Amino acid sequence: MKCFAAVALLGGLSLCTCPQALALSVHGFLEGAAGARLTDSPTQPKDATLGEGRLQVELSQEGPADSRLFFKADLVGDGVEERGDADLREFYLDVSPAQVLDIRAGRQILTWGTGDLVFINDLFPKDFVSFFIGRSLEYLKVGSDAVKLSLYPGPFSLDLVAVPHFTPSEIPKGERLSFFNPFTNRIAVPGESLSMRKPAATPENTELALRLYRTFGSYEGALYGFRGFFKEPVGMDPAGGTLFYPGLSVYGTSVQGPLLGGVAGFEFGYYDSREDRPGRNPLIENPSLRYLVGYERELRTDFTVRAQYYLEQMLEYGAYKASLPPGAPEKKEVRHLLFLRLTRLLRYQTVELSFVGFYGPSDEDGMVNPQASCKITDRMSVALGANVFFGNEESTQFGQLEKDDNLYLRLRTNY
Amino acid sequence: MAKTRVVWLSAVIALFLPIGGLFSRALAGTPGGAEEIMRRSALVQFYSGNDMRAKVTMRLLSKEGGERVRELIMTRRNVKAGGDQKYFILFRQPADVRDMTFLVWKYPQRDSDRWLYIPAIKLVKRIAANDKRSSFVGSDFSYEDVSGRAAEEDNHTLLREEKYEGKELFVVKSIPKDEKSADFGYKVSWIDKGNFVLWKEEYYDKRGALFKVFTADEVKPIQGFPTTVKRTMKNVQTGHWSEAAYGEVKYNLGLADGVFSERSLRNPPKELAR
Repeated sequence: MKCFAAVALLGGLSLCTCPQALALSVHGFLEGAAGARLTDSPTQPKDATLGEGRLQVELSQEGPADSRLFFKADLVGDGVEERGDADLREFYLDVSPAQVLDIRAGRQILTWGTGDLVFINDLFPKDFVSFFIGRSLEYLKVGSDAVKLSLYPGPFSLDLVAVPHFTPSEIPKGERLSFFNPFTNRIAVPGESLSMRKPAATPENTELALRLYRTFGSYEGALYGFRGFFKEPVGMDPAGGTLFYPGLSVYGTSVQGPLLGGVAGFEFGYYDSREDRPGRNPLIENPSLRYLVGYERELRTDFTVRAQYYLEQMLEYGAYKASLPPGAPEKKEVRHLLFLRLTRLLRYQTVELSFVGFYGPSDEDGMVNPQASCKITDRMSVALGANVFFGNEESTQFGQLEKDDNLYLRLRTNY
Repeated sequence: MAKTRVVWLSAVIALFLPIGGLFSRALAGTPGGAEEIMRRSALVQFYSGNDMRAKVTMRLLSKEGGERVRELIMTRRNVKAGGDQKYFILFRQPADVRDMTFLVWKYPQRDSDRWLYIPAIKLVKRIAANDKRSSFVGSDFSYEDVSGRAAEEDNHTLLREEKYEGKELFVVKSIPKDEKSADFGYKVSWIDKGNFVLWKEEYYDKRGALFKVFTADEVKPIQGFPTTVKRTMKNVQTGHWSEAAYGEVKYNLGLADGVFSERSLRNPPKELAR
């Protein structure tokens, strides 16, 4: 299907040879990436975490009246999964039917909010597996099949997104990275997989997301709303032995602006877990309040530091504790997460040394990701990095990946 | 029609040139004159017209023969002449930054607001960059070299007046009032007495050694504004240098303030993209 769409588009574009043809641009890259485990994993027989060649093709065709058709797809030869794949990353049409309205329809990457790798009001799908095995950052974001209306009536701006077709986030599922099986309360063994049930593709399950934003001088404020589903399978159905994506509504806000020579941001979200509002069902995530404070500053020329503090407070904690079956790992009422990013640019900004660290004091888990990258020429770049995970408990977010430490290398040529 | 305009323009220029000369001589003699020269020079370099757009091609060259190319479309709008400005930059080359956009709301008296849009992840990122000395797109030009440094930030002294390649020039020495606000210990500027174009600038580091030299390699009038269409910044200590060519320069496009917004970052309108 994906290939067919790609071929159809290419064919359609090549037919368009009229002399006034509007600009078509063709770009992309060729990338080779390899990654290997740093420690033996009892549950992962393969040493390679990453081994792939990727050809990305990006086509952008301008149309009449400021319209644009955009296509981006990857052809992937994957040595770890021993298969080839075509990945339609983005394929959308932009139109501006009125001065105050832009519409984007099709597969598109959506993101908003103030966090760096921490998301509260951005409830669009992410690929955490790609991030944890060392693919380039753009693969953290997954396209949604959606229609986005952007309205600019003047004093404020409004984004309205409708996603008729649910796309979940990619989380470790035992293929390259270990995962904690909540049914058996241990790390899954090789071959063990969990089935995940997506919400039915019905009109009433269409996800809706909204962002209302404006600037106040140098400060930016936003209000967010979301009605849809958790992007991670935080619901358990023991009868079917499956995980599912429970209904979720989120109401949130954020502010961002200059502070003490840097940029500070605050974001808040109330997670209304619609299928377990009273919190008495231990098989479904409780409602929660989520807060994020971030601060970034260029400490000296070409050296930037970003720090974030994230807090997640489970609501109806008493009901959750009372209903928890004996032996099940108990979540804490408050989960904290500290984040640090250091970025140093060298040699006329052609060399970048970066460090990303997460530490959760409440779960006593975390990860670090040091990376060195270099633009060898204007077209060619190389990146070398590592992901190291730690944690005391197998059931925590980073703890389950404790044996998945990996080293990766990427080489990319743009065209 | 075009001919009459040329005649009319030449008449205006002929009329103002001697007056400009007289005025500049008067400036040199007055106390604070050096600061006035620098202020006027900054207006010519960075504030000509109500707005301006140019296609900027930069070649970054190393002593070893390495070459990198940056191509971008830069648009600026004056909110207030000599005061706040808004910049919009659309990157064309190299491939890894193609279609990135960059928005700056610049305030002479405090840190700019900066946003960067990364098309690969459709992300608008607020950037903490209080350091105006950072290199602009990896070149020898700093942000300040591209968008200007307020004359009020330095103490200025008129060193001398001299003739150079047939031009009458002021030579002004500037020392930052706040040592930490600049990467130079002091700088010396050669400014045209007639039209206040900056022809050359030498930057000395905090130990007093020459480290960077700016030269205006080609200046031509565009819509009546003297415009430096070719310029070079050379780091004499490392041997690395950057050449910037400003092509397709247009002034007074009549851009609305509202186009310098997040909407344009995500989807640059034609008036900012070509």
